[in-house]
Amino acid sequence: MTTKQEYLIRYKDGNLYCELADIWIDPSKPVKKALITHAHFDHFTFGCEEYISTKETAILLKERVGDNVKIKTFEYGEEFKINGINISFHPSGHILGSSQIRFIFAEEKWLISGDFKLQKDKTCKQYEIVKTDYLISECTFGLPIFKWDKSNKIANDISKWITNSPEKTSLLFCYSLGKAQRLLNEISQTNFKGNIYSHGSIHKMNNSYRELGIDIKDTIKIENKKKIDELKGSLILLPPSLSKGSYLKNFKNIQTAFASGWMSIRALRKRSGYDKGFAISDHADWDGILEVVKKSEAKNVFFHHGDSEALSKYLVEKESINVLLFGKQI
Amino acid sequence: MSLKKFSELFLDLDSSNSTNNKIEVLKNYFLSNNPIDNSWAIYLLTGKNNKRFISGRYLKNLFSQIYKYPQWLIDTCYLKVGDSAEVITLLLKNKANSRKKKLSNISLNELLSETIPSLSKLNEEEKNLEIKNLWETLPEDNHLIFNKILTGTFRVGVSIGLITKSISKLINIEEEIISHRLMGDFKPSIDSYEFLINKNINLQELNSKPFPFLLANTIEDKIFKNSINDFQFEWKYDGIRIQLIKRSGNVLLWTRGQELVNESFPELVEKMSHIKDDFVLDGELLVWNYKEQIAYDFSLLQRRINRKSPTRSIQLKYPIIFIAYDLLEINGRDIREVKLENRRIELEKYFSKWQNNIENNISDIFKICDLIFPKDWPDALTYKEKSRENNTEGLIIKKKSSIYSSGRKKGIWWKYKVDPMQLDAVLIYAKGGSGRRAGLYTDYSFALWKDQELIKFASAYSGLTNIEIKELDKWIRKNTIEKFGPVRSLKPEMVFEISFEKIQISKRHKSGIAVRFPRITKWRKDKKINDADSLENAFELMKKIS
Repeated sequence: MTTKQEYLIRYKDGNLYCELADIWIDPSKPVKKALITHAHFDHFTFGCEEYISTKETAILLKERVGDNVKIKTFEYGEEFKINGINISFHPSGHILGSSQIRFIFAEEKWLISGDFKLQKDKTCKQYEIVKTDYLISECTFGLPIFKWDKSNKIANDISKWITNSPEKTSLLFCYSLGKAQRLLNEISQTNFKGNIYSHGSIHKMNNSYRELGIDIKDTIKIENKKKIDELKGSLILLPPSLSKGSYLKNFKNIQTAFASGWMSIRALRKRSGYDKGFAISDHADWDGILEVVKKSEAKNVFFHHGDSEALSKYLVEKESINVLLFGKQI
Repeated sequence: MSLKKFSELFLDLDSSNSTNNKIEVLKNYFLSNNPIDNSWAIYLLTGKNNKRFISGRYLKNLFSQIYKYPQWLIDTCYLKVGDSAEVITLLLKNKANSRKKKLSNISLNELLSETIPSLSKLNEEEKNLEIKNLWETLPEDNHLIFNKILTGTFRVGVSIGLITKSISKLINIEEEIISHRLMGDFKPSIDSYEFLINKNINLQELNSKPFPFLLANTIEDKIFKNSINDFQFEWKYDGIRIQLIKRSGNVLLWTRGQELVNESFPELVEKMSHIKDDFVLDGELLVWNYKEQIAYDFSLLQRRINRKSPTRSIQLKYPIIFIAYDLLEINGRDIREVKLENRRIELEKYFSKWQNNIENNISDIFKICDLIFPKDWPDALTYKEKSRENNTEGLIIKKKSSIYSSGRKKGIWWKYKVDPMQLDAVLIYAKGGSGRRAGLYTDYSFALWKDQELIKFASAYSGLTNIEIKELDKWIRKNTIEKFGPVRSLKPEMVFEISFEKIQISKRHKSGIAVRFPRITKWRKDKKINDADSLENAFELMKKIS
């Protein structure tokens, strides 16, 4: 077995790093060269000399952080070379522009899954099965208690939740980028035909999605001093950061909900402080992770971003897959 | 009517934080379902008898065995979920592919009156097979309810009071009547539900209604200008206020919250039912130290309140007493308009009559409150200061010439509470408030020193002015160390004076002590965290009092 020093990609200072190409993947601090899997803020940091991502990710990022960042872009599947390593982006199905990243060097294939999901999502490209020797996968929801319902079922639940309380204003909290647009797309297929408002941060992302050719229902940007009566029976999408502050005082007679995979657990739902939880996620559930591990044909698997102990043990015991651990920070 | 409806009811109740909302949801459920399912719903929601058919461990083992699922994986999942019935429900979702059988549309009644009880008649192998079969034929959204009923862990944030309120609204009849109807064993049946929603009130039900309680006000300085002879003085006991009714042979124990607690105190009901007269008494229920003739702590009473049909040994371990301080009705005659001093004479007269009946010894469960006779107001103060010695909270002062009106009417009854105990503590956590206080950090936790460590000892919400709350909120936002959901841990810097009513040993708390009614009485900006009290100080305080 190879030792960890010889791995093409390893963990350094809490980030994925390819020494041979001197390139970092979604680094959390400024570096020279950074590959960005997608445009969520926890995968991006200011101050890198150069960013490389898909075209969509670059557009979304610039919309969020301004034009001052230098981003080189590639199409899905388009190979580029750094220090003799072939690198390419492949759709990961997480949000618009999100990607897995494949490295090929000396006949050895490495795949970084990025954040991914297999579930259908009309607002981004479907996850692409990519064969690899080594797989580095996220495992945010790496326990068998996580099994996602179809997203149209959740959308119908949301629609019912709103229409059952016509005298209330329904506040649905969700991530501004990705989740919000997916929900809008799904909710527009349901029986709910009332007004949908969205917070500025979400509104901005809706526009970007539309410019990139994604079908997103029109929403009204929520103004601070909206008449209370006007909001009755309507849906308002807000980022979770606003759920605890004084912002809620702008509304009267509200019901609140949070759209997140964690909401499938009752105790978390109760503790969250929201009235209701909708278990919908842009990450893979347990079955999704297992499917990717199998279909990638990887002989060696690493996990990060999550509690991987049970998942690793299960793969080793039940599927005879070699699960490796990155060494502690080197 | 299917189990599905009840599953939906459960989810609706579970996902609502508003009482009015829950009442509305319940009302609609009762309206749209048949009497028998409704009676089962009430039975489950009131938790009158949550029998455990199989244990959580058994359920997990069974799942592991049927689906060849590693036990350790189920256990790992359990750590995340914290409830066996829910873990298995979530894992069953993952086994949906193995369910090819036609789904059954079983009713709540069928499930609870036939399917589940018949499980206990089967041998283990048959039982396991039947549970597997149910898992595979019940629709997915019924699994949680099914597993919870099986394991006897069905619980949802609904109190008897809430059920009472929603039925009261449904048929437009006072809550007291519904409370009375819900008292005792509730055997699910069409009859029991129809009795519950019967719009005709019978005489016995009318006889069951308590009078509105008269409540005491906090003492005001102006009272000291009056002659001490105008007032009656009693100890202020820390128990539960009870209106004890005996009419036409029936005894009823009503709390101030319109709850009937007959089931928790059967020995009192029994003794009182043998008294020949009919009456309505106002008084206090306590767990009593008969040797020293003082009340035990409120925490012992709590062991009795929530326990229905207590065993004989529980009754002996926590002996109760009812201390009457007023007589409101005697043999059908409402005497609330009679002056207090004359009501007291009647009370003493009847009590001595009852006491002298040798066939029914009531002295081991019932007495009337002793009166105190201070010479003057300073003397009253001395009595008040001594109240901790007999485990009372201070004095109750009643105007002798007053009638028994209702509510917190001014100028009739006063409470003169002993000064609170105090400790200076360090603010370590803050949590967002709700309702009017939403958006502000208004729920605080305080700590005392133990060696070099700060140990949480109390949480408090009240006591700061609105301006102070805003100021503190700003400080909290700037001095957060970590966030856990709605809770923030804070830089230890702020010292507050915390007042409370009682301090006692508690194994449930890390600090080893529990305090009652903690509240903030001063923001000690003049103090540094090293000036705050230690747990040792708290224990000393406790010693001093007991």
